[in-house]
Amino acid sequence: MDIILNLFVTLLTFLYRVFGHDMVLSIAVFTILVRLLTLPLTIQQQRSTRAMQKLQPELKKLQEKYKNDREKLAQEQMAMYREYGINPLGGCLPLLIQFPIFIALYSAINMALAATPTQMLDTGGRLLIPGLDSVVPLNNMWLGMDLTQPPNMTTIGTSITSFIPIVLIILVGATTWLQFKVTMPKQQPTANADGKPDQAQAMTQSMSTIMPIMYMFFTLSFSVGLSIYFIVSNLVGIVQFSLINRMKLKDAVNADAGGTSLMTVEGKTPKVRPVSEAAKKNAGVASPKGPSGRTVTGKSAPKAKAK
Amino acid sequence: MRFRFARMMPLAVVLVLALTACTGGPTEPNWSDISLLDGNILLTFSTTMLQLDPVDGSQVNLYDANGNVRTDPNTNTARRWEITASGGSSPTRFYTTPLSIADNLLLAASYDRRLIEIEQDAARIIDINGTAIPGHMVADLLLDGDVIYVPLAEKDLLALTADGYSQLWRFETTRGVWATPLLLDGVLYVTSMDHHMYAVDAATGEELWQLDLGGAIASTPLLYDGSLYVGNFARKLFEISLDGAIIAEYDTADWVWGTPVIADDILYAADLVGNVYALDISDSGFRELWRRQIAARAIRPSPVIYGDRLIVASRDHYVYWLNRETGEIIIRHDVRGEVLSEMLMIEPSETLVIGEPLLLVGTMSRENLLFAFQADGNSEPRWKYPR
Repeated sequence: MDIILNLFVTLLTFLYRVFGHDMVLSIAVFTILVRLLTLPLTIQQQRSTRAMQKLQPELKKLQEKYKNDREKLAQEQMAMYREYGINPLGGCLPLLIQFPIFIALYSAINMALAATPTQMLDTGGRLLIPGLDSVVPLNNMWLGMDLTQPPNMTTIGTSITSFIPIVLIILVGATTWLQFKVTMPKQQPTANADGKPDQAQAMTQSMSTIMPIMYMFFTLSFSVGLSIYFIVSNLVGIVQFSLINRMKLKDAVNADAGGTSLMTVEGKTPKVRPVSEAAKKNAGVASPKGPSGRTVTGKSAPKAKAK
Repeated sequence: MRFRFARMMPLAVVLVLALTACTGGPTEPNWSDISLLDGNILLTFSTTMLQLDPVDGSQVNLYDANGNVRTDPNTNTARRWEITASGGSSPTRFYTTPLSIADNLLLAASYDRRLIEIEQDAARIIDINGTAIPGHMVADLLLDGDVIYVPLAEKDLLALTADGYSQLWRFETTRGVWATPLLLDGVLYVTSMDHHMYAVDAATGEELWQLDLGGAIASTPLLYDGSLYVGNFARKLFEISLDGAIIAEYDTADWVWGTPVIADDILYAADLVGNVYALDISDSGFRELWRRQIAARAIRPSPVIYGDRLIVASRDHYVYWLNRETGEIIIRHDVRGEVLSEMLMIEPSETLVIGEPLLLVGTMSRENLLFAFQADGNSEPRWKYPR
């Protein structure tokens, strides 16, 4: 963790020097760089999410078929994931990998800005580029706000600039919501066999509400510097996801004869092991050899090239 | 399975942030401060001040006007001289030692922008809201006659009247003042995080000169033989004349935080990666006698000289007694906590009834707040607080 932290503190301080001692600009550029660095993880996460979504109709069929046999259901689901080279954790793992980066970023912003002697002491020895010490301490004031402190809500109404914390909170909430909307694939409202709304969709819907509120709460509790990171990170995320969606990344479930498959989507080579007959039958997935069997998208079946 | 992960995600985010102690303001503990008050040790840490008996480290009792121990009416036990600052509009924390400004009156600078008066005999805060100050305070106040000089952590130095705390003048710096100024012949030598050392007229607050040292300065300069000595975050030690000219400079491996010490024309300093330096200053400039990597982590406090030994303490939990001549480690003691506070050497006197000189070392560990060592370090600690 220290290695990441030292790199981040150094980079942030370096950017501060390059951008004329403008801390907010430095945080913004720093965030963009970190988002670019984690772009492969973001793409991976997006691919997994989309692939999993495309598999939902088939998974639902399995769930209905084995609704009284959870063990069998789990086996069949796993068989299906294996078959299509999907890692069911593929959507979450990239997120989890990003957590240490996020935590390091939070610490780096606090350390680089170092409002107290103890924080400053932690900054000492972390600057890996000679000469960067000369810009310490970094200017932590921006538009009348201390970047190391949570926004001050007690002075609202006393001046025009006192409303900036509210703008900050709204921006964090709005960009979080927008990013969530862009990230989540569009879904038609569906219902289960029993007529109840689809649980996954309901969950997605509630997440799109919970997440912005949660981040707005974070904005109230965390330093202003971190809120700027949230906003810039969300904006970059919106652009990234929009571009990814526009480019129509090779999604096996979407693709047909273009040589793409779930396997390629997941970056894996196609499985040569014969498909579990039970899985095929139960899920209604066509055999790789089948000429026109049902497929997960209603198009072609995944190709078993090695066969 | 996807449902579960989706459901768990917000919880995971909150959990991770909670585990990593992500909170808004600075919540990290401040380091303790050790001083003497009427023959006892005054230990200030976090929100608490207490007095300890230098003989055995026991807490000092509170006495009434007749010299009898005061008792707590609820528990019928002896009351201790201890103050915990709670309440008020914002949390109180003390980075500094309180100032004795009048008979039975202490003045404490809270980090949270307040000067708080304490009735010494009763160990009682007179008004927790105290007097508002326009900035945080991390450096000791300086009292000279009826003027109190208040360094502000964000920027500037204030001069206040000792009676009533009204502002006499305000000297502006562009960044914080993290060290108590040095007062000499009516001139304040102020170091600032804005990379400058300033000479300021103590009576009027007018700037006499300023000197850019190229890096933040967090320590009080040391006066020796007509020169000022100070280290900074640009990895340098300086000798500066009293009229504001750099006489000599020396490159260190890392930031120098603590004030250097000098004995027999040899300057000793330490840096934040654990190096200790011995420099001959008898002729013009610095002549390196030795430099050694002593500690595995930062050495924040100033070194202490005792006879032929040099004592340094580090964040690596150790206090080191070095051979002043060679820099070799003679002995080291584990204090089971990071040492960031200034050490204090106390010697027997009329008011300080101890059998031998003691070195007081404070740590960041609540279980090992203060150690008293025999000054030469040759034996295990005499006592520790809490026991």
